[in-house]
Amino acid sequence: MTVLSTTAPSTVVLAGRPRARLGLIVAALLLAPGLLAGCAASGGHATTTTPAPAATAPLATSMTTADGQAWAIVAMGGPAAQEDLFWELITRPPGSDRWTLVTPPGVADNGGLVAAGTSGPLTVGFEPSQDLTFSPLATTGNGGKTWDAGLLNAHLASVPDAIAANGTGMLALLDDGAIDQASTGAGGWAPLAAPGAIAASAAGRRCQVTGLAAVAYTPSGTPLAAAACARPGSTGIFARVAGTWQASGPADPGGQPLRVIRLTQAPAGDTALLQAGTSGAGSLSAAWTGNGAQWTASPALPLHGAKVQASGTGPGGALWVLLSGDRAETLTGPGAAWRELPAPPRGTAALAASPDGTYDALVVSAATLTIDQVAPGGGAWRTEQVIKVPLQYGSSS
Amino acid sequence: MGGMNSGLSPSDPTLETAFRSALTHQGLLAAAIIVALLLLWGASRNWVPAEPRATAPAEPAGRRVLRIGFGLLWVLDGILQAQPQMPGGLPSQVIQPAAQSSPGWVQDIVSAGGTVWSNHPIQLAAASVWIQVGIGLWMLVAVRGEWSRAAGLAGVAWGLVVWIWGEAFGGVFAPGLSWLTGAPGSVLLYCVAGALIALPAAAWGSRRTGRLLLAGSGLFFLGMAVLQAWPGRGFWQGTSHGQPGPLAGMIADMTQLSQPRVLERIVAAFGSFDAAHGFAVNLVAVIALAVIGAALLTGRPRVTQAAVIAAGVLCLAVWVLVQDLGVFGGLGTDPNSMPPTVILLVAGYLALTRVPAAALAPAVPDTPAVPEAAGGPASTWPSRLRSAVAATSIGTVAAIGSFAVVMIGTAPAALASLDGNADPILAEAISGYAPPIDTPAPAFTLTDTSGRTVTLASLRGKVVLLTFLDPVCTTDCPIIAQELKLTGELLGGQARQVEMVAVAANPTYYSTGDTRAFDQQEGMASVPDWLFLTGSLPQLNHVWQQYGAQVEDLPAGGMTDHPNIVIVIDPAGNIMQEVNADPGPATTSTQTSYSALFAADARQALGES
Repeated sequence: MTVLSTTAPSTVVLAGRPRARLGLIVAALLLAPGLLAGCAASGGHATTTTPAPAATAPLATSMTTADGQAWAIVAMGGPAAQEDLFWELITRPPGSDRWTLVTPPGVADNGGLVAAGTSGPLTVGFEPSQDLTFSPLATTGNGGKTWDAGLLNAHLASVPDAIAANGTGMLALLDDGAIDQASTGAGGWAPLAAPGAIAASAAGRRCQVTGLAAVAYTPSGTPLAAAACARPGSTGIFARVAGTWQASGPADPGGQPLRVIRLTQAPAGDTALLQAGTSGAGSLSAAWTGNGAQWTASPALPLHGAKVQASGTGPGGALWVLLSGDRAETLTGPGAAWRELPAPPRGTAALAASPDGTYDALVVSAATLTIDQVAPGGGAWRTEQVIKVPLQYGSSS
Repeated sequence: MGGMNSGLSPSDPTLETAFRSALTHQGLLAAAIIVALLLLWGASRNWVPAEPRATAPAEPAGRRVLRIGFGLLWVLDGILQAQPQMPGGLPSQVIQPAAQSSPGWVQDIVSAGGTVWSNHPIQLAAASVWIQVGIGLWMLVAVRGEWSRAAGLAGVAWGLVVWIWGEAFGGVFAPGLSWLTGAPGSVLLYCVAGALIALPAAAWGSRRTGRLLLAGSGLFFLGMAVLQAWPGRGFWQGTSHGQPGPLAGMIADMTQLSQPRVLERIVAAFGSFDAAHGFAVNLVAVIALAVIGAALLTGRPRVTQAAVIAAGVLCLAVWVLVQDLGVFGGLGTDPNSMPPTVILLVAGYLALTRVPAAALAPAVPDTPAVPEAAGGPASTWPSRLRSAVAATSIGTVAAIGSFAVVMIGTAPAALASLDGNADPILAEAISGYAPPIDTPAPAFTLTDTSGRTVTLASLRGKVVLLTFLDPVCTTDCPIIAQELKLTGELLGGQARQVEMVAVAANPTYYSTGDTRAFDQQEGMASVPDWLFLTGSLPQLNHVWQQYGAQVEDLPAGGMTDHPNIVIVIDPAGNIMQEVNADPGPATTSTQTSYSALFAADARQALGES
């Protein structure tokens, strides 16, 4: 506000030098707390950052195990930002049309759930959230009635196929791109692939791997890993054969970069969901294999700008995709054509296929899960069941 | 700006009580020092015969206005700093809003200061009170001489601290800078006044100081007029896209604050008027600022007199209609920029027009040299000291007393600033009062992460800080572990006499693999004197029951429910205290505060054993 000169010559006789310094001393003392404040606060605690997930498929899904039991994972509750988003596991026993809540207890599951197990026990992995950096596991052999605790002392990748199990072994895709394996149950984890190992392999270099998306076993027990590839025409599915990763995906005549967004196991084989091109002009296709070598591909499904919101598998190699814009597309199995279901009800988080071709829509509204059903021939969705989920809001924040 | 807010409510009763207590204690200390000084001075009158003192020249009118005006403002600001919500509320309600629209580097600087405040809210809040009251009193009582000039420098120094860390550089680096809303920060005007008070007496002996002050003010007003008129800054619009313009928006915010009804109506009415006639209001403001600025630049007494009067009227209008008197609602820390502006202008005008004839004469020192013969034998220092004390004026004694008041605030604040960890008061505010307990701690036999058996009896002779942690907990347990880790560091050499023990608190995930994974995640494996114990489910159930810890899995993806407590067990195996260890907002301040609290509890247990 003012321009002042404090260096104006002074003709006043002051009372001695020591007293002349008094003002400066006082000024220094008064500035000290502020200056110290700046210095003292500069050594803050270091913060950690969580690496980005390996790929991009949403976690909501459903699957059917060898015994015909259907399992589905959906998110329910309030906003994720307030840690009030809870992931729930529900199951439908073979031959039944009633779903039951079987979310494994003991861990806040705000980070998400992933499940694996085609024949034998089902294993669920908890995606780490908030301050948790490793992944608890839970295994059930009785349809979710009871659970055995396990542990993967690493951070699971946030993709629906981050774990795979075949009764004798398990695979886990980690968020840093590594793959761990366990020979039995959830214990004794050991590295199968170091971060970047698949991208650095000969097959990976040919494919120009940009990120891993899934792990699975072939029916014969060969570990598979799925990836997104930058090189057009390359399908990023790799099999662990004789200690090396070898290209194992279907040939892609499309000539566009391909992302494998799902690679799921079924008793009879594996199902891959592939996305070609960008989302605007891209398309989806599926491929099935019984041995990891020969694949049967589906026709391409143009996305017309839609995005995949959820996907899953069903009996007999069935596959469904929930797309933005109220679209639901299904495939009944290898060799089948895409079939569009009636527009799913508002709030549909996932679909689930039945052996007879009926589809259930799992419709979420806060803590209410509604099961709507549509018959194989189409028609309208019909509400079959309503489940009130006892969410514990605030328990994870 | 993360980290600078403790996360506690400004109205937290524990903080308010502690603040009142600190103010009371420091106030009593200040009063005692002042009384002692006065008694010493009174007694010294009898030690040596009073020396006739030379008559000091009258203080220049401009300087007197500055000194008294800003002295009163500092005292008022100090009193405002004593509002009960100040310790907990200043970072979130004053500092953060002031800095939020400033560039990142400003926010970093401000955040650093805010963090220190959040860590030591009681010390810093009390310090602000006494420093400001002390500076104000100092300015009021020290009329002339070095002590008076030093008061000005003290005002500059503390003003800069407040301007940088309290006002985020007065918002001068933020968009939307406007004189109407307080730019360039009221405390910067305090600094200018302090610098003027600190000028040598000779500087007030001519009209030059007044001319420079008014010319500088004129340039400032012109600059503010240009800023106010600059296109694209929004001040010409009362509303924009259906929303109030910058000025109308700010006025609307002001009306939401708690204040007298009459004032609220006046301000609201002007806000509506500005929203409807934004262009006209800004035009008046621009013209007024420009005309006043140009008039001040002339340096002609009659013109500047008119300009100062006009500026006073304009400032009064802005103070009431735009700045809402500066002290209402929220946590007002000063009456904003208009009163100091007016005082500066009046002082400048008086310095231009009323120069005392005697002002050019050499100043008479406050403490004249005492003739060696006056106090008896001149060779001994006690006699010289007695003479010096006896020759000191009452004004100087009062100034020394005021300086002592400033130091009562400065010293603890400086010491607190050196401590990077927060004061335990934050943790006490969250956890509440923990009454002393004296009961034997229930025995337990559990297993550590290496599979070794650990009993409570095996820890006899050490203080045990016992807690219950869920190995797969996603929120509180990792935080409590980190608090205990820092507790060990704070204990230093005493840490060897303290064992920090966690018992697994999850009926599903309680294996040694789980506890090991938790330790690895939290970096606890390498912490000496840390044990994460577990056992079979029946063993754990027994321990939970013995210690009254209810542990149960929640359905539907919820976290396992368990108590957040830290039980202090003395070396003899008796429970001394059970601290509620809920991390609360879990800010950096509260976490380090808990560590300091646990360390203090452990030391107390060691001391009482």
